[in-house]
Amino acid sequence: MFRRVLQLGLGPGRLTRGLGTRRGSFTLDWEAQVLEVKKKLRSILPGEPLELHDTSHLPPEHSDVVIVGGGILGLSVAFWLKKLEKKRDAIRVLVVEQDHTYSKASTGLSVGGIWQQFSLPENIQLSLFSINFLRNINEHLAVVDAPPVDLKFNPAGYLVLASEKDAASLENKVRVQRQEGAKICLMSAEQLQNKFPWINTEGVALASYGMEDEGWFDPWSLLHGLRRKVQSMGVLFCQGEVTREKAFLPSSTGDMKPRGVWVKMDNSLEYQPVECAVVINAAGAWSGQIAELAGIGNGPPGTLQGTKLPVEPRKRYVYLWHCPQGPGLEAPLVADTSGVYFRREGLGSNYLGGCSPTEEEEPDPANLEVDHDFFQKKVLPHLAQRVPAFETLKVHSAWAGYYDYNTFDQNGVVGPHPLVVNMYFATGFSGHGLQHAPGIGRAVAEMVLQGGFETINMSPFLFSRFYLGEKLQDYNIL
Amino acid sequence: MLKIIIPTIMLLPLTWWSKPSMLWINTTSYSFLISIITLFSLHNHNDATHNFSTLFFTDQLSTPLLILTSWLLPLMLIASQNHMSKETVVRKKLFISMLVTLQVSLIMTFSAAELMFFYILFEATLIPTLIIITRWGNQTERLNAGVYFLFYTLVGSLPLLVALMVKRNQLGSLNIMLLMFNSPPLNPSLTNQLMWLACMMAFMVKMPLYGLHLWLPKAHVEAPIAGSMVLAAILLKLGGYGMMRLTIILNPTSIDMAYPFILLSLWGMVMTSSICLRQTDLKSLIAYSSVSHMALVIAAIMIQTPWSFMGATALMMAHGLTSSLLFCLANTNYERIHSRTMLLARGLQSILPLMATWWLLASLTNLALPPSINFIGELYIIISSFSWSNFSIILTGINMLVTALYTLYMLIMTQRGSMSHHMKTLLPTFTRESTLMTLHLIPLILLTMNPKFIMGHLY
Repeated sequence: MFRRVLQLGLGPGRLTRGLGTRRGSFTLDWEAQVLEVKKKLRSILPGEPLELHDTSHLPPEHSDVVIVGGGILGLSVAFWLKKLEKKRDAIRVLVVEQDHTYSKASTGLSVGGIWQQFSLPENIQLSLFSINFLRNINEHLAVVDAPPVDLKFNPAGYLVLASEKDAASLENKVRVQRQEGAKICLMSAEQLQNKFPWINTEGVALASYGMEDEGWFDPWSLLHGLRRKVQSMGVLFCQGEVTREKAFLPSSTGDMKPRGVWVKMDNSLEYQPVECAVVINAAGAWSGQIAELAGIGNGPPGTLQGTKLPVEPRKRYVYLWHCPQGPGLEAPLVADTSGVYFRREGLGSNYLGGCSPTEEEEPDPANLEVDHDFFQKKVLPHLAQRVPAFETLKVHSAWAGYYDYNTFDQNGVVGPHPLVVNMYFATGFSGHGLQHAPGIGRAVAEMVLQGGFETINMSPFLFSRFYLGEKLQDYNIL
Repeated sequence: MLKIIIPTIMLLPLTWWSKPSMLWINTTSYSFLISIITLFSLHNHNDATHNFSTLFFTDQLSTPLLILTSWLLPLMLIASQNHMSKETVVRKKLFISMLVTLQVSLIMTFSAAELMFFYILFEATLIPTLIIITRWGNQTERLNAGVYFLFYTLVGSLPLLVALMVKRNQLGSLNIMLLMFNSPPLNPSLTNQLMWLACMMAFMVKMPLYGLHLWLPKAHVEAPIAGSMVLAAILLKLGGYGMMRLTIILNPTSIDMAYPFILLSLWGMVMTSSICLRQTDLKSLIAYSSVSHMALVIAAIMIQTPWSFMGATALMMAHGLTSSLLFCLANTNYERIHSRTMLLARGLQSILPLMATWWLLASLTNLALPPSINFIGELYIIISSFSWSNFSIILTGINMLVTALYTLYMLIMTQRGSMSHHMKTLLPTFTRESTLMTLHLIPLILLTMNPKFIMGHLY
């Protein structure tokens, strides 16, 4: 606008300015002069150029806590950090998520089951806390002027079938579960046949069925409800990843703990350093990579420095099929003796399920392509044997998702690393991270803010067990 | 005075021509030597002023501030070594040059004999400070902080320029010593009231007064450690010093005009102390505590009795050392944990016990524990404000309580309690850091023994 005024102002006087001026240009030529001054300054002062870039799309340069991974576990940690801080805005949290559509994240691709039938008391307590959280979800996740969260929780229960040889351990497990307060009932084969007539009880000696607080829910609504609530609490989000080339800002003091994180912005070559006090590794299937980039595992094997985080992505298939003669609306989440599981999906006689492959048949986790032969060869025979009505099923669709599989003992890692002291883990739950997410988030937030686990004692889940070799075996992992 | 100014100016060639390995050593040691020279002006015959020339003079008000200024330069250099270690040599030299330029302007400001000279240098201190805050501060908010700082102070001081020129035309000269004998009493007219406002507003913004204090938390928090130190210790005192000099020419208008400002500062003192209790950011807490202490100083200067002036100068000196010490302590936290949030840096006493000692001593002086000079300053001010009005004791009493509350809150949050896990591998205290703290504390303790030096010109 200024230029146009000048043009109008100087226009009529062009004749008096002399023959040296060209038509269309005027002596002031603001932009060229600014460029010249800039060039001169650049030649005098060494170092970075003087332009001020627009950085509004970048994450802030400082944050107190950076959570790598914006899935259910990362968001749960962010939620509890903000909920447990004693004063408002006391702690600044940044969540770095590589894909805001969550196309490969385990949360969205999960079957969404929740049950209390674990053998470790801590896992049972986590499940009990989480179901309480989910039942009262709108008290926790209410945001002003936003619609309430509907988790579509189906309390149909979780049915575990055990053969003769597993019957004794199942009974023991149920005793532990009942001690912790879960309501599980044990059924013999006849009782099972009476309750669920569509089951073929051949080979089943004992079955345990959760009477309350078990079933499945919609992980997407939980994820988005949490995301909305966490944003309203003041947590910053950024879409970027922590890549191999530049991952962590090295510590200025020479020890192992990173001073901050390099975030590579999505779809660009731009890196933004974020200086932070605490890094939380909630990257799910990619947590192993993130831990490696922080220097965990760089050392002679057998030492604490050389102990890697044993979490790697494992691909699991979920198949959705239609069977009009199937079990019906009362069908719980059933876990067969062979390792095959299924549950009802929706009200139109659809079911979904799958099976964990054995170690030899592990599919390649490089992509999320589905192997339909796996269903025909490994899942369908056992399904048809257990529920005869499933002989006439027709597969509707299938998808694959990653487990953040802990190769050591298939149970999660929670808490700080003993050497890289400002990296906290909340990962490695190998398929039951979603159902324990509220409890795990609270445990990590307590560890960061208060220095220890206050409510559920998750110290058996610390990283040091990988070095000490103490496995936390919880049988019956789907 | 040239014996101080010329060596300080020569610190500039010293920084640019030093070898990079000797850069910090050279500048720190020579600035220490310069600070010893300033001690010579303490020697006073018969309470007279030292008149070095028509331009420079020092008396018992400006001498302690001058010594504080020159003592603080080596301390700023010691404190900046760590966060500047990653920069290139040219940038380090630029930073030190900014500090030295600021130092020259400050020394000349405190020893200025003429009010116009004082004003020019008062404004000149803004530019190096702005550059230090916006170039070497830590977060993106520092640009906002620099803008607030610059424009608040500038807008406040423009009326002062006009007022000084008017006064010079009226009185013929603005030499402070002449003004003491030369200034006629002002008649109570609107013009003179506006002139009173024009003279005082610049310093009210600088102190800062409670309603005009918004720039201070931003500037203190976003500045690098040297910036915070110089801001808290010296630049705030420029306001107090200016007010004390200008009240000579503003009588008797001050008696009526000062009333709202005394009220505002007494109220603001309690308000900002209460805000400190709710702060989560350590530097922000120390910044608000500065506002609170300076509010006491403003109230004292407005009351204009000998006791209040003594209290004001004592508190200015004491607060300069204490506040700078607290900022240095907060900076040692920040350099280790990379976060200023207090929640994340707890239980430091178990891992850094020596640093805990410095924290304890700093907190004790901040909450005005007797017999420290902070206590003497606050006591004199509280006594004089009580004599000005009996009711003010309620506010000042509440303030002493809340000051103790937030100081102890800061001490207990950072030092006591259980450690967070991510602090287990903190580096132990550097000797440099401990030196920095002792160099703050030794003057505080020595002055406690003999506070008459800081009692100002009405002692």
